Amino acid sequence: MRNKNWKQILLFLLPVLTLFVVYFVYPLGFVFVTSLTKWNGIGSMEFIGLDNYIDLFGDATFRLSLRNNILWALIRAFIHIPMAAGMAMILARKPLGWKTTRTIIFLPNVISQVALAMMWLAIYNAEFGILNSLLEGIGLSHLAQNWLGNTTTALPAVIVQQVFYIGYFMIVILASRMGISDTYYEAAEIDGANILQQELHITIPMLRGILITTMTLALAYGMRHFESTYLMTNGGPAHSTSVLGILLFRDMGALKYGEANAIGSILIIFGGVTIAIIRWLFSRNDSASDAAQ
Amino acid sequence: MVQKGLKKLTAVDYIAKIGKWMYIIFFLFMTFAPIIWLVISSFKTNFEFETQPFSFPAVWQFQNYQNALQMAGLPRLFLNSTIIASCAMIVNLGVSAMGAFAISREKFKFNETILNIILAGVLVPIIALMVPYFKIVSSLGVYDTLIGLIITYAAMNLPVSVYLVHGFMGSIPIELEEAAVIDGCSFTQRFTKVVFPLTKPGLVTAGTLVFIYCWNEFTYAMLLTSSEASRTLQLGIRFFRSQFVVDYTSMLAAIVITMIPTIFVYVFLHDRIISGMTAGAVKG
Amino acid sequence: MRTKKILLGLALIMFIMPSVVWAAGQQEADKEIVLKWPTIWVGADSKAPMVKALVDEFNEMYDGKYQVDIEENPDYDAYRNKLNAQISAGVVPDLFVFNVSQTSFAFYEGDLLMDFSEDLDSDWGDNFVEGSIAGATIDGETKSVPFEIAVTPVWYNMDIFNAAGVDEVPTTYDEFFDACDKIKAAGFIPTSQMTGGTNAWTSMLWFSHIAAAIGGPDVWEKDITDPVFVQAAEILLKMYSDGNTSKDAIGGDAGVSGGHFLAGRSAMFINGPWYIGRVKSEAEAVYNATTIASAPGSEFSGAQIGFPQSNLAAAATDDPRKKEATVAFMQWMTKPENVKKISFDSGALFAVGYTVDENEEVDALQGKFMNAINDASFINTHFQYNYTSDVVAEFGQALAKMALGQATPEEFVEQIANKID
Repeated sequence: MRNKNWKQILLFLLPVLTLFVVYFVYPLGFVFVTSLTKWNGIGSMEFIGLDNYIDLFGDATFRLSLRNNILWALIRAFIHIPMAAGMAMILARKPLGWKTTRTIIFLPNVISQVALAMMWLAIYNAEFGILNSLLEGIGLSHLAQNWLGNTTTALPAVIVQQVFYIGYFMIVILASRMGISDTYYEAAEIDGANILQQELHITIPMLRGILITTMTLALAYGMRHFESTYLMTNGGPAHSTSVLGILLFRDMGALKYGEANAIGSILIIFGGVTIAIIRWLFSRNDSASDAAQ
Repeated sequence: MVQKGLKKLTAVDYIAKIGKWMYIIFFLFMTFAPIIWLVISSFKTNFEFETQPFSFPAVWQFQNYQNALQMAGLPRLFLNSTIIASCAMIVNLGVSAMGAFAISREKFKFNETILNIILAGVLVPIIALMVPYFKIVSSLGVYDTLIGLIITYAAMNLPVSVYLVHGFMGSIPIELEEAAVIDGCSFTQRFTKVVFPLTKPGLVTAGTLVFIYCWNEFTYAMLLTSSEASRTLQLGIRFFRSQFVVDYTSMLAAIVITMIPTIFVYVFLHDRIISGMTAGAVKG
Repeated sequence: MRTKKILLGLALIMFIMPSVVWAAGQQEADKEIVLKWPTIWVGADSKAPMVKALVDEFNEMYDGKYQVDIEENPDYDAYRNKLNAQISAGVVPDLFVFNVSQTSFAFYEGDLLMDFSEDLDSDWGDNFVEGSIAGATIDGETKSVPFEIAVTPVWYNMDIFNAAGVDEVPTTYDEFFDACDKIKAAGFIPTSQMTGGTNAWTSMLWFSHIAAAIGGPDVWEKDITDPVFVQAAEILLKMYSDGNTSKDAIGGDAGVSGGHFLAGRSAMFINGPWYIGRVKSEAEAVYNATTIASAPGSEFSGAQIGFPQSNLAAAATDDPRKKEATVAFMQWMTKPENVKKISFDSGALFAVGYTVDENEEVDALQGKFMNAINDASFINTHFQYNYTSDVVAEFGQALAKMALGQATPEEFVEQIANKID
């Protein structure tokens, strides 16, 4: 069935599709094609089929990085987003100082990651770090350690640095939450529902769409996570905090474009599959609940 | 409005209240501490910064700010950053709002497919695209121009914006548009008169995120420009990072200075617009 | 209403902007040869003022004929990424600087870079330190001009040594670890180390020193799994054990290893002459207490680690005038008297020889650096020079693993070897 507005639809889609083709489809084609070659960017490309991919999956560092990426994606989607949503729900009820609070919580997204990384390096430092001083202060000096310098604590430490900066997704969820009319809550209050019940039965169902949207984005950001880890540990010690972005960047620096782009391709394919699964789970849930009604 | 005082607070309400304030205070601390640290550190000497990162400066080094303000061509960099971030935001929002409108408000064969393909763009590790982006920008003849960065930034942020705006548009009741069609609104008018105004909170939110991204972006600003005439503030901050030695505290001072406009944009544009609009918002 | 106005204003800016950009582009249509030089020696870099002065002088000298425009690229890592991307897209800057490594020698492939071998065959070539042109030549083509070099001896804080009751810098590794024990007993950190950053810089230099002492001048010709490197790794591991370095060394970056030395906490540290200015301005006591010498010896002693740091290069061109301008500029920048000016002003060392009169004042620590080079029994390159950058990155990761007790010295060299193609 052809939509009668197809001309306008095409016109409206034209700018976005043009830019998308130029800035995503073409470069990704380039990435994918070069991922099948050995190429240093200067000499000629040597076609080697899937060798780069085979080599990567045989490499323990690569597998560890992929695992770390999946961990990042899951933590972002299922811990980071709920925390952001919780804050959005609280602030939407306009408690004392909610506007200032909203601004302050968003601030870390405004500062450059460089400055944030510098501060956290100083917090975690083993010689003069504030975290160890704190532990010693409350009599837990046996817990004091080189947080970013050992393979058990480095990854959690790098994740903790990021996971509480919820401002980005908070403002997205908040913008949507502010659109829900107060009348729903007033009615619920008359019915005797307490705040938690109201949030559970009104807010969450109504924010379902934006929650899925933000979770999907969070998953994607987790898969391509790079910057804060690069700035704090550069993947170390002993690759324990490594992610695919770090390996990709390192290969690019060594002019190994074939391998770098194979990592990029895997990242996109893997992320795409993860997101597709999550969305499919949600939509299956959707139709199930629709059927129940 | 129901008067809260009329209702007896239950135990659940009390716990919720205490929990709420602990939650707020925790996050305020986590997010505000870096700002304070950043500002204090920007007044230290490099020696103090490296050896006692959490102390107050012995002597407050206003010199750092002087250094930062003397950064080569600061006014020009500032102007460039403002132009680039604003224009990229406008182009990005215009393009993604139109696209999202067509995808979310019209039923045609490929709307799900197009949305999913664009969404896949969110996954792209942008740093992997340095070589192709350099080629694109050079062949468009916009290397080392503001336009080059504007188009690139607008395009880079399309997947996120389209996806977010699509999400916001999806929550507008279709009945409103149906009513508009009965009133004789054309396709374009449905966009400009019905959907666009109702999506403003979403657009402003997406726009804020795009603006801040552009303001803080470094890698591509470096790659796609070469002369001071088109460089941005983020390159200015790196002025203090030479090959072997970094002047950390002057750099922090520069970071503080460059941060102020983004806070301004956030507080005045985002907050004002959002608060102004949500009053009249309709939902469900 | 307010938002409308703001948006309108922005739209207006957007409309005006293209014409501004266009106008800026018009100024370049001059007849003289203009060479663009994206350089890292700008901003806070110690070489920046003199490099700029020399470029200005050059432009004045060739006024109306040639002109060199500096494009500022302060952040070296970012500059390198840009250069890689640019060259991979087939666009080479008129003039540029690159860090010499096995990775950047890939630029020599194809015909992107100008070959200076014929020009260097003349008197010009005689300006350079022996062997430096050979080091920049591959298959008879010299596609870059040797410029900055570096020496990275060990810095000994003699105040700490004296406080620990050690009067002389150690000359063998037995003496070295004895001294370490005394330094620890006196409450100081014996060595500055780091496994972090892109190259584990300080520790990579320690490793290079130890390898030179055990394996001699030809050590880098050996396979990385050679027993020499296993032995070197054992000594390096010992430096990471028993409190011989700071607690934050594993995962630490250059700020960590340098910071401990600057603060007078660590007794031994390794870095190049560019660090002199920092120590002098921020830690005068440490500056005065610093002695420069080679690392302890083993089978060989008195070795120093020195290596080409940055070479100058240019885009190949068919235009004879452009080539002439490029060569003129290269000759100008590597003229002994000009190099001397940069060196004196910044403390940096160069692959170009120049004479110093006795009455000329050299910075005390820089003087010690020069003596260290002159006294060296031989000068070896560092690990980083001999491998591609991904292998260098693996060094830090493997070192952290070994230092954490999760790998033996044999496994350490094995892990690095696996990364080598």
